[in-house]
Amino acid sequence: MSRTLVVWCPDWPVTAVGIEATTAGAVVVQGRVAACSAAARAAGVRRRQRVRDAQRRCPDLVVRERDTDAEGRLFETVVDAVAALTPKVEIVRPGMCAIAARGAARFYGGEESLRLMVQDAVVEAGFDCGAGVADGLFAAELAARTEEGGTVVPPGGAAGFLAPYPLSVLGRPELADLLARLGIRTLGAFAALPSGHVAGRFGADGALAQRLARGEEPRPLAPGHAAVDLSVRDEFDPPAAQADQVVFAAKRLAGELHEGLGAGGLTCVRLAVEVGFADGHVLERLWRHDGLLSTLAIAERVRWQLSAWRSERPTPGTDADGIELPGDEQAVWGGVAWLELTPDQLVPDEGRQQALWGQSSVTDRIARAADRVQALLGHRGITRPVLTGGRGPGEQVTKVPVGDLVPGGIPDGPWPGRIPAPAPASVPAASLSAEVTDASGAPVMVSARCTLSAPPARVSFDGRPSVAVTSWTGPWPVDERWWDPARSQRRARFQAVTDDGRAFLLAVEGGRWLVEATYD
Amino acid sequence: MADAAWARATLANATALETLGLETASRLDLVPVLPALRPVVPGLRPGSVVGLAGTGSASLGLALVAGVSQHGGESGTGGWCAVVGMPEFGVAAAVGMGAEPGRLLLVDEPDGRWPDVVAALIEAVDLVLVRPPERPGTAAVRRLSALARKHGRVLTVTGHDWPGTAIRLRVDQAEWIGLGDGHGRLRGRRARIVAEGRGVPGAGRHTWVWLPGPNGEVASYEPAVAGDLRPVERQPDGTRTVLEVVRETPGEDVA
Repeated sequence: MSRTLVVWCPDWPVTAVGIEATTAGAVVVQGRVAACSAAARAAGVRRRQRVRDAQRRCPDLVVRERDTDAEGRLFETVVDAVAALTPKVEIVRPGMCAIAARGAARFYGGEESLRLMVQDAVVEAGFDCGAGVADGLFAAELAARTEEGGTVVPPGGAAGFLAPYPLSVLGRPELADLLARLGIRTLGAFAALPSGHVAGRFGADGALAQRLARGEEPRPLAPGHAAVDLSVRDEFDPPAAQADQVVFAAKRLAGELHEGLGAGGLTCVRLAVEVGFADGHVLERLWRHDGLLSTLAIAERVRWQLSAWRSERPTPGTDADGIELPGDEQAVWGGVAWLELTPDQLVPDEGRQQALWGQSSVTDRIARAADRVQALLGHRGITRPVLTGGRGPGEQVTKVPVGDLVPGGIPDGPWPGRIPAPAPASVPAASLSAEVTDASGAPVMVSARCTLSAPPARVSFDGRPSVAVTSWTGPWPVDERWWDPARSQRRARFQAVTDDGRAFLLAVEGGRWLVEATYD
Repeated sequence: MADAAWARATLANATALETLGLETASRLDLVPVLPALRPVVPGLRPGSVVGLAGTGSASLGLALVAGVSQHGGESGTGGWCAVVGMPEFGVAAAVGMGAEPGRLLLVDEPDGRWPDVVAALIEAVDLVLVRPPERPGTAAVRRLSALARKHGRVLTVTGHDWPGTAIRLRVDQAEWIGLGDGHGRLRGRRARIVAEGRGVPGAGRHTWVWLPGPNGEVASYEPAVAGDLRPVERQPDGTRTVLEVVRETPGEDVA
């Protein structure tokens, strides 16, 4: 579980349109209040209220239309203030950003001092904010929203910290409504339900919400990186001078990105947007989101990034060399030469059953049963086997947790020295030890040149009484991965049938005999 | 020599399959098994418990999983199987018998939660193969047997006795073929499978099969043609048939 610091600016849509927290103000979308300032809230204004009702409660309410463009642009100032302390700031949405707290906390002398430092930096930049540190994004956001500008939740304390919160913080009104009617009103009570039953009754989304309520990672990251590069890129020749032109291209690129991700059954929780300017300057931002961003949302983020860049121009109308540029409001400084979208932190797309299960389609029934087993035993508890290449019987099968992607790039070499068919029926994960002796009772040895000291006559497994070997074959030497000392393996294999009618695959490695598999 | 015999056995197997075609159509309500096992168990009754014991129980479990995986499911195009508590389950061998790895679920270490895991899976998959880590308690036996009956699935238990088992399968005679004294390779096992229990018509039905055959498949085997199948260990003068064994590579035998 990663330690995360979240910076949260209260009532950001209101701040973005220039209303101070002390004046009663509200931002409206389609005649309803989308956000309001603290003073307005004190007067009884609430979200989703009709403007007319809000004005009745607070007659001197300042009303502005919501401006998402300004929200994104203005938040760049906050991000820059945080980025001056620690790089790799992830923007969750305008008004909230997150950083990985571990390294930075060590550098700045503890999580509490890091929290205060970040908070001071943002306040100096001119914005009110709360900062919180906790395990994972969800708990850190709530920690940032606590009284007195946030708090630090100690490692492992997320579950206890979250317990008293109402279910509405999960952002799932239908689930919260249903649970409230079942008599469950806090995250703590929800977390205490048996996870198998929650997964069975509320499906994958309910199980995810419960993991959040327990202070656990909402979904584990897929191990390893994607084998293919899914980033998309567009060049502008001549450089694009208008922001609209770039945003339009971003929308098309986002469509391509979705196609690439969809083909692999993936979704990304973080998107890196890189904008390259004609003068060689590159502007990069990470955008974080749970689930896939729509093409429109991606285009919108590119627009925010560009408009922030415009507002950062040292003197409007000239570039760094002092050359005059067109005074057009839409002009992008120096022109955009290229735009690249890179999906970051890929996770399997749990929303699409067809893609999740690879080639075989799956019924809800199987997926639900797998969900229940994973709720009982953890993510790695239930696996699907995938045949891979390899010589030994244990190497030919990889077990992939249900829901994870099947690893790509499976080598399909000819595998000389592979154990011939039929394959053994029983392949223990760890080989058992064995003692192999010749007719005189002396241990059988295999020399470096693969000659036997004497034919094997008796074998005993794990210290049990020995049995006679009726027929045998070998040695079949393998010398694998000699270039990699950690994984190299040099052994000689034997097949043997004992007089009780059983057959074994034996191996000798470094003078020790092992039972690799049983042909039971 | 062995090639010819193997080809003959496969041919006999194929014709047996054709003649069985009519029979399988009338038994669609049974959970299917591999064709070679049908002389001893025509199919598994939905909701029944099958017990496996003794030497060869691992291969029998693989064969049952392969049968359901290949011929099971609602439309007979392939069913789902789950294997619980058997980390050593030989997936490669099951695939050799005809199982589809994409329709297999493995729960390697259920530990104490195995009754809950089996209960969750038996609602969804056609066959659950389980080796309980401990002697199953009365409550677990009653609950899981009832769930299997209710959902019409087959519960296959190995490693422990299970009260109320309808069919017990075991291998009572077996012989591995192909190994000599320092030469050859394992080519297959001829095994006699015996079915017992109240779910079996006529006590002690048995059949001879290759478990597994040289390709890894389960094929029926007729002891009548056994004479020319054992060249390796029956050399009258003790000369070694090294050439013959080394010449053959897996996969070519029936090609």
